Amino acid sequence: MSYPTIRIPFGPQHPFHIEPEYFMFEVDGERVVGVKPRIGYVHRGIEKALEDRTFIQNLYLIERICGICSHAHTTCYTQAIEEILGAEIPPRARFIRTIIAELERIHNHYLWLGLAAHEIGFDTLFMYSWRDREIVMDLLELVSGNRVHYAMNTIGGVRRDITPEIVEKIRKGLDALEERMRYYKKIAMTEPTISKRTAGIGILKPKDAIALCAVGPTLRASGIKRDVRADDPYIAYDEIPFNVITYDGCDVISRLFVRCDEVFESVNIIRYAMHHLPEGKIRIKVPKRVPEGEAVSRVEAPRGELIHYAKTNGTTKPERYKARSPTLGNIPSLCKMLVGGYIADIPIVIAGIDPCFSCTDRMAFVNVNNNKQWILSGEELRRYAIKWYRKE
Amino acid sequence: MTEETTEENEIVRRMKHLIGKNVLESEVPRPRRIFILINKKVFTKTVRYLTKKMEFSHVSTITGADVGKEIEVIYHLNRGGTIELSLKIRVEKDKPVLPTITDLIPGATLYEREVHDILGVIFEGHPDLSPIILPEAWPSDVYPLRKEWTIKKIQKKVTKGGKR
Repeated sequence: MSYPTIRIPFGPQHPFHIEPEYFMFEVDGERVVGVKPRIGYVHRGIEKALEDRTFIQNLYLIERICGICSHAHTTCYTQAIEEILGAEIPPRARFIRTIIAELERIHNHYLWLGLAAHEIGFDTLFMYSWRDREIVMDLLELVSGNRVHYAMNTIGGVRRDITPEIVEKIRKGLDALEERMRYYKKIAMTEPTISKRTAGIGILKPKDAIALCAVGPTLRASGIKRDVRADDPYIAYDEIPFNVITYDGCDVISRLFVRCDEVFESVNIIRYAMHHLPEGKIRIKVPKRVPEGEAVSRVEAPRGELIHYAKTNGTTKPERYKARSPTLGNIPSLCKMLVGGYIADIPIVIAGIDPCFSCTDRMAFVNVNNNKQWILSGEELRRYAIKWYRKE
Repeated sequence: MTEETTEENEIVRRMKHLIGKNVLESEVPRPRRIFILINKKVFTKTVRYLTKKMEFSHVSTITGADVGKEIEVIYHLNRGGTIELSLKIRVEKDKPVLPTITDLIPGATLYEREVHDILGVIFEGHPDLSPIILPEAWPSDVYPLRKEWTIKKIQKKVTKGGKR
């Protein structure tokens, strides 16, 4: 005897991200048997708006594609435009861009660690990691004047310099961040609360990861060594030694370890970059009019490969500008991870790809048989998950 | 000339060998970047060759651009994380139809749907071309990234002259 499956809509509301997702789950008892994603609920038409603004105005718009990876987006944008212009930015600017990019990665991974801990009900870790995240936010504020939307990049270089006093403060902050992350990694390795909820959950096999074009830590946690910083070096990454972190567990805990280890790598990259910071100008003057041309620009954002395509027509505005953020690249893989798992694992598996999800997610359960419907918020679903695991 | 540049030129050479005059334009602007414009009729053959024989198994994204009377669809294919090959195909605006590549690269599903949404390109054989970015109630003949649809015109059509 077979029972009819039940469909569960998940989402969609996300006040703070470009890509709020909606998922229609098909469940058989506690098991997810099918997932259908839908995005675009706060599609802001940025690509169309970019065609209507000048290259300098677009810098501000690009910065606002994402709140967390704002530097990654502007780096991608500026290097695309600089490539078409044929402008070579000063070495000091390249190093400063790298330092900010890695501070941003540390910030993102600390933020993610807290959110993932929250999803599995480990709120102590959530509070601790977000407290320590303040260290890196303060550093970013010290350098750029802003906690988010650093606005450091401009076409032709960077807008602010890093003084020796700032270098000293960053060095101190990095020591603290490195030590704290070492502690969190130790907790993640020894604490059964974490391993019980994340080990063997949300499996993405390497061959699926490749077929579904996964990117970033999600891909690297499936044992595939791919990182734009190493494979297609940009800004100063070809001059700085670092390791590409991979784990082959293919599950959520591997994604956690990848991010922990990436923080150590980022700390080392920043230390190296500050030690070898070249002297000289931080920006060059570039013309407002960009000649006809096109460029594909790639950046390893904290969440994975970010790709921009720019086409210019010789005016002060772009002919076509396309941006693809890493979350979109990971949605097909996410669907693969969710199928076969439990309802209770949905929050942590979704959080596992780091998709800029807010906790305002709401979820409606519809029983197909009698059309009975009840709505669960993301918060209630999280509680449901914790309770469900406690019963075991 | 560096070793990497030769690798990119080698790829272009192999492509020209495969499809001959159907390579309409090709350019290697810098290391690890290739732009190739090909004839629409050899599209499936080329993509199959690139993915199966030349290891361009990762699709970074698919861009659609309005280039006047035609729509240019650009497949950003990647090999081993390094070389990014932008394969361009032009389709007529009146009849924008291309075969899907989701059978070769399942990861292209959402990218094809996105191009379908914003430019109206139909990918034959795609399992589900329902809206992914635009709302369900969006008028079916409005393709926001086509140049004839200016922001003002879209506002007028979609919000009925600014009133909701």
